[in-house]
Amino acid sequence: MTWQQKILRVDLSTASCDIEPLNMEWANAYLGSRGLGSKYLYEEMDPAVDALSAENKIIFATGPLTGTMASTSGRYTVVTKGALTGAIACSNSGGKFGGELKNAGYDMLIIEGKSDKPVYLHIENDRAEILDAGDIWGKTVWETEDILAAKYDDPLMRFAGIGQAGESGCRYACVVNDKHRAAGRSGVGAVMGSKNLKTIAVRGSVGTPAASREVYRKINEINARMNDREGMARDGTLAMMDVTNGFGSLPTRNNRSVRFEGANKLNPEAMHTPNANGHTNIVQNGACFGCTIGCGRICKIDPAHFSVKDRPEYQGASGGLEYETAYALGSACGVDDIDAATFAGFICNEYGMDPISLGGSIAAAMELYDIGAIDATTTGGIKLDFGNAEALCQIAELVGKGEGFGADVAMGSKRLCEKYGHPDLSMTVKGQEFAAYDGRSMQGMGLAYATSNRGACHLRADPYGHDFETTEIEGKAQVVAETQRLVAFMDSSGLCLFPSGCGWGTEDYCELVDLVCEGDWNNEARMVETGERIWNLEKLFNLKAGLDKKDDTLPRRILEEPADVGTGKGLVCRLDEMLPEYYAINGWDEQGVPTRDTLSRLGID
Amino acid sequence: MDISVTLFGGLRHYLPAGSSFNKCSIDVDEGSSLAALLQKIPVPSDKPYMVILNDEKVAGDQFDEITLRGNDQVVLLPPIKGG
Repeated sequence: MTWQQKILRVDLSTASCDIEPLNMEWANAYLGSRGLGSKYLYEEMDPAVDALSAENKIIFATGPLTGTMASTSGRYTVVTKGALTGAIACSNSGGKFGGELKNAGYDMLIIEGKSDKPVYLHIENDRAEILDAGDIWGKTVWETEDILAAKYDDPLMRFAGIGQAGESGCRYACVVNDKHRAAGRSGVGAVMGSKNLKTIAVRGSVGTPAASREVYRKINEINARMNDREGMARDGTLAMMDVTNGFGSLPTRNNRSVRFEGANKLNPEAMHTPNANGHTNIVQNGACFGCTIGCGRICKIDPAHFSVKDRPEYQGASGGLEYETAYALGSACGVDDIDAATFAGFICNEYGMDPISLGGSIAAAMELYDIGAIDATTTGGIKLDFGNAEALCQIAELVGKGEGFGADVAMGSKRLCEKYGHPDLSMTVKGQEFAAYDGRSMQGMGLAYATSNRGACHLRADPYGHDFETTEIEGKAQVVAETQRLVAFMDSSGLCLFPSGCGWGTEDYCELVDLVCEGDWNNEARMVETGERIWNLEKLFNLKAGLDKKDDTLPRRILEEPADVGTGKGLVCRLDEMLPEYYAINGWDEQGVPTRDTLSRLGID
Repeated sequence: MDISVTLFGGLRHYLPAGSSFNKCSIDVDEGSSLAALLQKIPVPSDKPYMVILNDEKVAGDQFDEITLRGNDQVVLLPPIKGG
């Protein structure tokens, strides 16, 4: 049993912190992290509230395996109503914060209300206090961590907080922990900022509830069973760059193309090869709590590069490009400058922004600029051409600070493109920017984007294998529906998705959960049913929030403009053919609403 | 004739000694099939991959039928996911 069976409830309006028991009945049905956090949010809050109002809640939820010695067990989820999407937001992060929260004795934080002045939350085991944040409000994520780490003189204190982007209401502001890990998507940082909550500082010495020596021996066996750790560590997620570019599914220049001629300047080879100055981008790998892979890229920008010249504060090593960042701040904007993309990524970590949505929004702005819908007058003199690396870096900083044209880009590409009269140019679903896969050559991913409960996302289903096998749509609806359930389960365990499929099979996830939870969890049927229950609950939240079938769609470009090259050349996404089958497989009606029978079968009232 | 071969991701571990970061050149006889080339690349049989020939994906059942030409570029991609 690795539940602490305790929740810390923080009401910022009344400045109160109360400990209450975890609802174990719900934990048995929704497991933890994403699933259990969503259950609490659904039960406690009207999904129709304004995401940036005091009525919205923000939940930091660990899973039963978080903070254990299971590999990749550093994960936690931030659950709230997303500021970017108006949909349920379940934004997952690694690093060391989640394990420390568990170590302090809590499975979950539920934060509600709104403070009338900037505050931060300090947690040390049973002691939780809401403190004045006057001296850190307006600081970056990095500065905030450094100031508080020095104040408490505790190198093991962990932080999850926002930068200026979250304070200024950037719609895709994220929550950053450990300086460069982030609960990145859907604007969870904007929600935190709207509550005047700057950061959460947590330190624990309670420990994770001890299981038997035998349990830990078995966990170790499963850790050792993970395949290809060396391969996953060597290139990290960036290995995908060559795969999608070769296949023809790498979104390029706001999805005008699906192949980027500059991909070889952003790929693992480019990251590992010294440039003309003898500078190598990658310094070392980084690993989250308990991870035996270490997929993180710790990188340095060439000190001679325009972005950091005479700015020594950016010349040190920090979180570098992962695949999604390299796409969003690279190919999506037509930028092939690895140092510029790395710099924009640093800015995301420092100011607290989702790099996928930042890159997608800048790419949309570049297309608006390209077609003449905006000009240098709008951008404050910045020549926002596709491929302009200096413009990318300039805009990133302006968005972080909420200044000038950056305030427009901070709205996200949907609101940006609507403002300037071209809503079709926003590559989003439910207001959230695409991840690094094009839904024309990867038809399953197109369906996964359209139906994702949190808006366009590559981590809500697992159609990769099927998509790389065939562009025919037969079987895609089944694959997407089934893997949405599996992913929901895995996300709720406290483990990372990265090794799933390549390193671990679903049976390994089941067995690990079974080792630390009561009852029979070593059972794939229960895994699937739990994931399906979570998926349906998230769907119900969105329906009550006002999102329905009309929101399960894709931008006109993906539905009507054929892919220009590669395996999917000539194809558009055949969403209208896949969606009815997908709804039927889920036990939903023709409008995408779960039927009474489906909800009854899953035990949802 | 020499065929350019690139192995991405963890597959590059199986390049012949002396190869560059992830590329090598493999000599095959004129008229060789794609299948014959792939047999010369020592990727273990339990490591699946996709094959891209001159920027286009090739299905497995076509490996025997495709005859290579000089300057062909062959890329092997591992099945990975996520990001």
